[in-house]
Amino acid sequence: MTRLWSILAALVAVGVGLVALFGLLVTPNPVTNALLQIAAITIALSVLIGILNLYSVHLRRLISRGRGSGYSLVMLIAAGLVIFLWLSDQDDANMTLLETVQVALESALAGLVLFALVYGAYRYMRRGVTWGGLLFTVVLLIMLIGVLPGSGTIGQIRAWLLAVPVSAGERGILLGIALATVVTGVRVLIGQDRNYRE
Amino acid sequence: MDNSTRVITLIFLTMTLAALAILTQFARRKRSAFPLRPLAGYSAIPQLIGESIEAARPLHVSFGGVGIGAESTALAMACAEMVLQVARRTAIGTETPIVSGSDPTFLPLAYGTLYRAYQSRQRVDRVPATAVRWYPSLQRTGGLAFAAALTGTIGAERVSGSILFGTYGAEIALLLDAGSRGLRRSVAGSDHLVGQAVAFGMATTPIIGEEMFVSGAYLGDDAGTLASAITIDVLRWLIVGGMTAAIGYVIAVRLFGGG
Repeated sequence: MTRLWSILAALVAVGVGLVALFGLLVTPNPVTNALLQIAAITIALSVLIGILNLYSVHLRRLISRGRGSGYSLVMLIAAGLVIFLWLSDQDDANMTLLETVQVALESALAGLVLFALVYGAYRYMRRGVTWGGLLFTVVLLIMLIGVLPGSGTIGQIRAWLLAVPVSAGERGILLGIALATVVTGVRVLIGQDRNYRE
Repeated sequence: MDNSTRVITLIFLTMTLAALAILTQFARRKRSAFPLRPLAGYSAIPQLIGESIEAARPLHVSFGGVGIGAESTALAMACAEMVLQVARRTAIGTETPIVSGSDPTFLPLAYGTLYRAYQSRQRVDRVPATAVRWYPSLQRTGGLAFAAALTGTIGAERVSGSILFGTYGAEIALLLDAGSRGLRRSVAGSDHLVGQAVAFGMATTPIIGEEMFVSGAYLGDDAGTLASAITIDVLRWLIVGGMTAAIGYVIAVRLFGGG
């Protein structure tokens, strides 16, 4: 029975994938659009699953009084409050909460990221004198000095570094990811992905 | 999509399909004919799993911001493969890995994968409903709320180590910093360049770019995943060859064909 379900899932995935690909390559058609709309509805439904998951995880932690259960209590109260405000049509209050609490907290976290990055760079250089560490330090110095006004040659080196090696590295990484994405997509299209075989 | 793009896309897809089909057959017959280059990230993962089992503490695997239905769908499939490989090995221990993500569409994929992994070891009863966790985050501020929630989870759940595959920005620094303060080892990579750069500097062992897509080939024994890893390498060398030929052609034209 499980094997039958796997075959059915593979057939549906391969069929839908081929129709979507065909619609993309040949011309937008109603079947492809309908499939994309079904996908959008399914994705929207997954938010509901997510909320249930969030409640389940934090309620369990609260009931078991595990470490961090205080945070779970705060989370549950906050989530309950937001849902209550939404149900009672108080969108303004909801937006105020979002802007004054959530965005402010995330801005503070963005500040913390800076310290984490500086600490990370410090730890990277503490690993010992390696060629990678030396290169990192030299490039960091060039980047910092090069941004100063009147930095002359170092400013030009900085501009060259950004335009040539950094850009080449970026493209190399993105190209690799793109190739791997295509291969993964083709594996799904031909039903070779493990999700349909076990 | 214009006609030339369509033709190039079709040629590329056909080439990929042909390479995958042929290489899968070869890999099935003789796996040892395709030795994989060593990758530090995949050498470190079995050690992380061993530590998790011995310490009876959960291993943390995160999808970051990837989900199904958007441009990161293929990466979500790759992350699911990683979860499968990790969970199959940790199934012999007492602690189930904690799988997290910030896109709600990852939930069914992660649940299904975890369930299949434990089912293959006849230990489905050991998969708690709370093993997969969704931590929502605002799109406009990146994944900061997600990262903050995870730093709490890493400490509260006393995870033994972290495997961070998926989409991350600079906020991955918070996760890796929290891990390193607790002397927890991490393997991390991102499909976003900022996150990748931070992971390279701060993770115990970084994974770079397309390396995230080949966990099945390095940690598993399946011919199909091995073939896909080799196909990626073959396509990369084809592109390198094409680019080298194009550069050679331009240089030759400038040197000899200017007049």
